[in-house]
Amino acid sequence: MTVSVVGQPMPQVSAQEKVQGRAVYAGDIKMAGMLHAKLLRSPHAHARILSIDTSAAEALPGVKVVVTGDDVPRRRWGVHHKQQNVLACGLVRFVGEEVAAVVATTEAVAQDALELIRIEYEELPAVLDIDAALSEGAVPVHPEGNVVDEINIARGDVEAGFAAADIVHEEVYTTHSQYPGYMEPMATVAATDGNGRLTVWTSTQSVFLARQRLAEALDRPISSIRVIQATVGGGFGAKIVEERSSVIAAFLATKVDRPVRLNLSRLDDIQSGCFSVPMRIRLKMGMTRDGTITAKDVTIEAECGAYAGLSPEVMLVTAMRSDNMQRLENVRSHARMIHTHTMPRGAFRGFGGTQMSFALNSHMSTMADMLGMDPFDLHRRNAIRTGDLSVHGWEIGSCGLPECLDQVSTALDWTARRARNTRCGVLRRGVGMAAVMHVSGNRTMGNWDGSTVVLKVNEDGRVVILTAESDMGQGANTMLTQICAQELGIPVSHVTVQAPDTDNSPYCLGSLASRVTINAGNAMLGAARQARSQILEAAAQKLGCEAADLTIADGVVHSGKNPNLFAPLPEICRYHIFRHGGEGILVRHTHDPKTVMMNKEHYGNIAPAYSFAAQALEVEVDTETGQVRVVETYLSDDCGKAINPLTVHGQSAGAAVQAVGWTLYEELQMEGGRVMNGNLADYTMPTAEAVPTMHSDIVETDEPNGPLGAKGASETAILPGAPAIANAVYDAIGVRITDLPITPEKILAALAAKEQPHA
Amino acid sequence: MSGHKLSLVVNGERVEADVPSNRLLSEFLRDDLALTGTKRGCETGVCGACSVLVDGDVVKSCLSLAVQMNGREITTVEGLGRVGALHPLQQQFMEKGGLQCGYCTPGFLMAAVDLLKRNPNPDDAEIREGLSGNLCRCTGYQGIVDAIRSTAEAGHGA
Repeated sequence: MTVSVVGQPMPQVSAQEKVQGRAVYAGDIKMAGMLHAKLLRSPHAHARILSIDTSAAEALPGVKVVVTGDDVPRRRWGVHHKQQNVLACGLVRFVGEEVAAVVATTEAVAQDALELIRIEYEELPAVLDIDAALSEGAVPVHPEGNVVDEINIARGDVEAGFAAADIVHEEVYTTHSQYPGYMEPMATVAATDGNGRLTVWTSTQSVFLARQRLAEALDRPISSIRVIQATVGGGFGAKIVEERSSVIAAFLATKVDRPVRLNLSRLDDIQSGCFSVPMRIRLKMGMTRDGTITAKDVTIEAECGAYAGLSPEVMLVTAMRSDNMQRLENVRSHARMIHTHTMPRGAFRGFGGTQMSFALNSHMSTMADMLGMDPFDLHRRNAIRTGDLSVHGWEIGSCGLPECLDQVSTALDWTARRARNTRCGVLRRGVGMAAVMHVSGNRTMGNWDGSTVVLKVNEDGRVVILTAESDMGQGANTMLTQICAQELGIPVSHVTVQAPDTDNSPYCLGSLASRVTINAGNAMLGAARQARSQILEAAAQKLGCEAADLTIADGVVHSGKNPNLFAPLPEICRYHIFRHGGEGILVRHTHDPKTVMMNKEHYGNIAPAYSFAAQALEVEVDTETGQVRVVETYLSDDCGKAINPLTVHGQSAGAAVQAVGWTLYEELQMEGGRVMNGNLADYTMPTAEAVPTMHSDIVETDEPNGPLGAKGASETAILPGAPAIANAVYDAIGVRITDLPITPEKILAALAAKEQPHA
Repeated sequence: MSGHKLSLVVNGERVEADVPSNRLLSEFLRDDLALTGTKRGCETGVCGACSVLVDGDVVKSCLSLAVQMNGREITTVEGLGRVGALHPLQQQFMEKGGLQCGYCTPGFLMAAVDLLKRNPNPDDAEIREGLSGNLCRCTGYQGIVDAIRSTAEAGHGA
């Protein structure tokens, strides 16, 4: 009997150690002789460092070293824009920028020493928002000026498209910055060894990108550094390449030549970023009376703060990704990324998609009202379909968007609920919906989006998977385990996925762009099939039959022709070694999808597959307090074949709640560039009480490029929440909020303005 | 900092220790006893990752001093269950998707033990209310609520 493992809901492979509290996160690691580091941050948004006196701090018993910008390599690091040093060198560009670090025998001593460091600053004028940064004569954050990136995309004839439209609507939307809010604040342990090599255990979504960044920032050869992924307590994009504390920890270890642990406090973690990129989006769309979109024109101003990081890539997504969700011909985007003297922003789950989803779906709902159409019908009319080539050259191999729309509208009983709304009373209910798309993979980091899996089959028939794609809780290792177990005919408990380690794992890009299921999943499939074929060849030799007659099930190789011909897997795996010319089974498979990098006009099929999702929900608005509550929600994710439905539902629920937080509860408060709510009591993420049952469903399209039909899940699911809520609020009280978050203050002000339009 | 003699029971074992008076319980557990299952997520008593049981009641160990624990009995996640003898809540958290990254999980488990002790048959609203002292950023709470409900339904609530 062959048990199908793929497609079955099963606990994550890391679940057992995690429920026992035995998974080891970087902050749990303790090494002999380990020292502790603390960081001193800039109190100013923009200032010149005139002098730093570390003598009192250095004199404190227990302090091993105090380092400043004078001690760090001159070489600057960054994703594309090389803008940062390990510590600020001579100039600080945001409140919270790291200016000095102390290494001491205990965290407490290191903390005390920070207070003994004397820094003389010359405060300089600062630009704290995009308007200030773009104003005439604005102080440049960097010598190159405050516009760090500009994108222009145009296809078709936008003016003709508007001329052909029966209705045109234009609106400006603003989206705010969201804290990733992973529960594990950044933590790193770094240690040099007797050969001068540096090993870094850290919380990262990509060990190889981490190593590359460390090599650059510390100005040392890539191969002199080894990065090992500790258990990651949530990433949400912030731990791809932009966080800085692991870089500082690694540098400190080289200074003291002893193990150093740097655990950020929550305040540290919040002050250092990496929040999502706030944007101001002007959207103009034209439609004919039947709802066909004839033209779309977008202008984006985005704020990356002091350092660009991945923000330009995020903005590119905002500027064009959602165009591919609909059958469009005439589109135009102009987007600018702007520096300010605030914390660096960057990658966040959805990667620029949430911002445009808010604008686009708010717009679609508004225009549906203008046309007297149901927004679901308006989305259906324009939705891209399987087999389409999008306006930007994306080949849509599978598209479950129409099915997602059907599922959520049926689940919420959309038509009936919408009709029920009366817009009266203190507590008013309304319904809203949104539809979205995301990539599964993205050929963007050099001309490779591949993934390599090394598979070792031990002499007992159990296996070890080596990969450097990262599991930060989303379930990558479980996905690999299920595919491997199914292909080899072994129990999932016989599969171990090794933690990413740059010395031992094959080169991989890591967990970003929802690329792991489709790319690493395909690599896993290839590796497992290769191992299976080697096992069957060896078994055929040993049993004296044809390999084609053999299969593996439940850990036993047996013949389909002769029931007496069988051998347990361990016997075959030992035979593979113990014969002349034998060896242990070790296979490698690389899968690089048949995608292209975008050309200069931003055209080309960048991803092997595209995921879609839709959400429909009901809110209740308290017209006396202005509070908005989501009372019921349904989200459908087209993730192709769901390799583990339990994981997919978990991703959908988690993403949907993160979206609720962004829309209703979370708001970064800054004054003079200083974070005013740098703790989890004042930066209010949703609790269990704040959200209802998160219903989710799955549309299982069969993705031709996916492993067993699968594509990416999880990021797509964060995209529809904000506009679905905004649309529901409009439905409930007739007030359209176009600037996030939707706070009680804004609701009350809008209601007051609506009742007294001339006041 | 003056030291204090401390005698307490942690996960069923007697522990004698000398601790400075400002030692937080979370530091004492993690750094002195190497019980790193108890996590630190906010240091301000909001996230609940550091939750442990003190004489059976859930307590945030980042807001408690070790010296307050003299004569008390503490249970951390390490004392809840082991492989082969997992606590029903641990089993249900696994099966219902009550965790992803796992960082908040020990705290949620301790809060859930306390919740079911006080109310062996909670409805969803009561479960959610009982979890309001803990934050999770991965699961959207759905798997956690499902796990606690199914534990209670199986009669393991008391």
